[in-house]
Amino acid sequence: MSSNIKTVQTFAGDTISYYDEIIGSGTMKDVYFTTDKKHVVAFYRDPLEQNALERLKMITGAYHKGIFEEKNGNYWNNLFCWPTDIVFDGKLHGVVLPKYHQQYFFEHGSINNDFLAIKNREKEGKWFSSPTNRFSRLDKREWGDWKNYLRIGLLVSRAVRRMHAAGLAHSDLSYKNVLISPSSGNACVIDVDGLVVPDKFYPDVVGTPDFIAPEVVATTHLSKEDEKKVLPSRLTDRHALAVLIYQYLFLRHPLRGKKIHDMDDPERDELLIMGEKALFIEHPLDNSNTTNPSLARPADKFWLDTRKLPYTVAGPYLSKLFKEAFVDGLHHPQKRPTANDWEQALIKTIDLIQPCSNKECLSQWYVFDNSKKPICPFCDTPYKGQLPVINLYSERGEGRFIPDDHRLMIYKNQSIFPWHVDRNITPNERLAPKDSSRVGYCIFHDNHWLFVNEKLTQLFDATEAEEKKKIAIGDTVELKDGLKLLVKYNHSARLLLVQLV
Amino acid sequence: MHRRLPIYILVDTSFSMTGEPLKAVQNGLDTLVKALRQDPQALETAYLSVIEFNSKAKQLETLKDLTSFQMPTLEVSGATSMGEALSLLVECIKNEVLVEGRRDWKPMVFLLTDGIPTDNLQKGINELKSIKIGTFVACAAGSGAKIEYLEKITPLVVTLDEANTESISSFFKWVSASISVGSQKVEQGKEIDAFGELPPPPKEINIIDLTKH
Repeated sequence: MSSNIKTVQTFAGDTISYYDEIIGSGTMKDVYFTTDKKHVVAFYRDPLEQNALERLKMITGAYHKGIFEEKNGNYWNNLFCWPTDIVFDGKLHGVVLPKYHQQYFFEHGSINNDFLAIKNREKEGKWFSSPTNRFSRLDKREWGDWKNYLRIGLLVSRAVRRMHAAGLAHSDLSYKNVLISPSSGNACVIDVDGLVVPDKFYPDVVGTPDFIAPEVVATTHLSKEDEKKVLPSRLTDRHALAVLIYQYLFLRHPLRGKKIHDMDDPERDELLIMGEKALFIEHPLDNSNTTNPSLARPADKFWLDTRKLPYTVAGPYLSKLFKEAFVDGLHHPQKRPTANDWEQALIKTIDLIQPCSNKECLSQWYVFDNSKKPICPFCDTPYKGQLPVINLYSERGEGRFIPDDHRLMIYKNQSIFPWHVDRNITPNERLAPKDSSRVGYCIFHDNHWLFVNEKLTQLFDATEAEEKKKIAIGDTVELKDGLKLLVKYNHSARLLLVQLV
Repeated sequence: MHRRLPIYILVDTSFSMTGEPLKAVQNGLDTLVKALRQDPQALETAYLSVIEFNSKAKQLETLKDLTSFQMPTLEVSGATSMGEALSLLVECIKNEVLVEGRRDWKPMVFLLTDGIPTDNLQKGINELKSIKIGTFVACAAGSGAKIEYLEKITPLVVTLDEANTESISSFFKWVSASISVGSQKVEQGKEIDAFGELPPPPKEINIIDLTKH
């Protein structure tokens, strides 16, 4: 880089040097690379008000400390791009931020030898949220499969859960403020400098259209002083989070159906669609806002067809939450699922997916529909062969096992992790390093499904209650219908009941 | 189900545009389309058409999304039929812009000229009144253009001191930024109807703010 190098003092007393060349501009900030190549400095174009500066001090100070310096705090470095320091160049303020990870820039870009010339540009969420953008414009290697979108949903939910637990609301969750990398299945929440703390720091913006909660849209016209005016909060974040997850998985907006509220005035129509008259396109009792795929662009037709691809293909755990978010809670914010609800449901859903055997399938994975003959809802390819499903039961009281409402689909090289054998373990930031690697895996050998025990010292074949057989480390057991595996791990016991579909 | 934002670009290709100005317009349009194709928002919402006017007015490319849009080759000839260009614009909008069902956003129109109309401008202006346009920016490039004609068409008039490569290319960069902002705005359920909502123009572009006259 040949541009001039400038230096600036940070509030924490450091000196930061950066290249005096704008590498990107947001709605409020201009961004520059620091000379250490690991950070950026983002200068606000306009002078900051006192309140905004106070908020930045809290964000780079106490809030940062609370999240990143707790036990396992390092975990959050991958999920947030969080400002760490403030700078002032005599005129304008700025923040110091970690540089985005390389995976958030297009590696291959668009089709036809990158005809859109987007290689090395940021992977803005909008690229992945319409079928035409994702499948007709981007290089195949950028698409990502359904499993990765579930994982992205999980990571975003986790990040939002952590903010909310700290009493903070993001206030502007949207495609723009969540970086995603579908090809690697990662996500990172950015632009947290507008966060909201009830009764302390108020929102700067109402949010990004498409993600603003209906009660906020419906009251935007009211003055700041009006007590009926609804402002962004953790409850409105919950709406935005639900929209993000729905849009990543189904490539359609949950409220954009065929209903037109104002024939003459598009602005008023939009206000009603997203606000006062908002109605889920898949409302079970009111189909007046269903979609009309026949009017859609060719690549969009399939994804807009809610009869062919209803939200229920996301399985029981997510379906329940989509209903709570868009039917029960759309106009009743208190009924919306929390970020924690989404996180738990996504963890269970990721265990409930199976690979599609069609290599051309746009999704590559789908949720087991509990039927005897599973068919991929994305490409109609039926599952071939036997499909083992493991149902999980935990011991509650001596010898009494009750279902955990958690199942694990078995496919080639599927791993069994500690959280599958101990209900007290959850795969999240608190996961101990010893619990983060697999304890066994499954293979398909000679027409039989086998489980290979790698680490379980207390694994038994308990199919015959009277005659438990120990399965030693390094041994395998065939996954037959009706097989009961008993695992003692830490201080709990779990029963794995095998079902062959 | 998305709503389209139609964009019409009207360019003067009369004899006075020969040479550098025409080349600058051609490059400007090229850069504009390239820049918008890198914007996933614009790709989803913006639809583009180009109309040229010289002795006649001609729609060189019908309203198309940014990936289907083929860049036309501009050629100079004859006079400045600006009135006819407006009439043709009205005809195209009536044919191409949806006003029923999930109607399109009101079109954004950008007109660039380096001269004065040689036909009946008023006729075009009268026809313009029969349709709804969101933003209409008219640009007078160089000393040969007279803003008093453009002011009759729209209150949003800008001027370029010279019709040279530098100013024309910065005009198109600004148009492209305006379309980006426009497609974000419409996503916010709003339309642009004043200069204040467009991105600040670069130094080469002078704003003639008629609302302050």
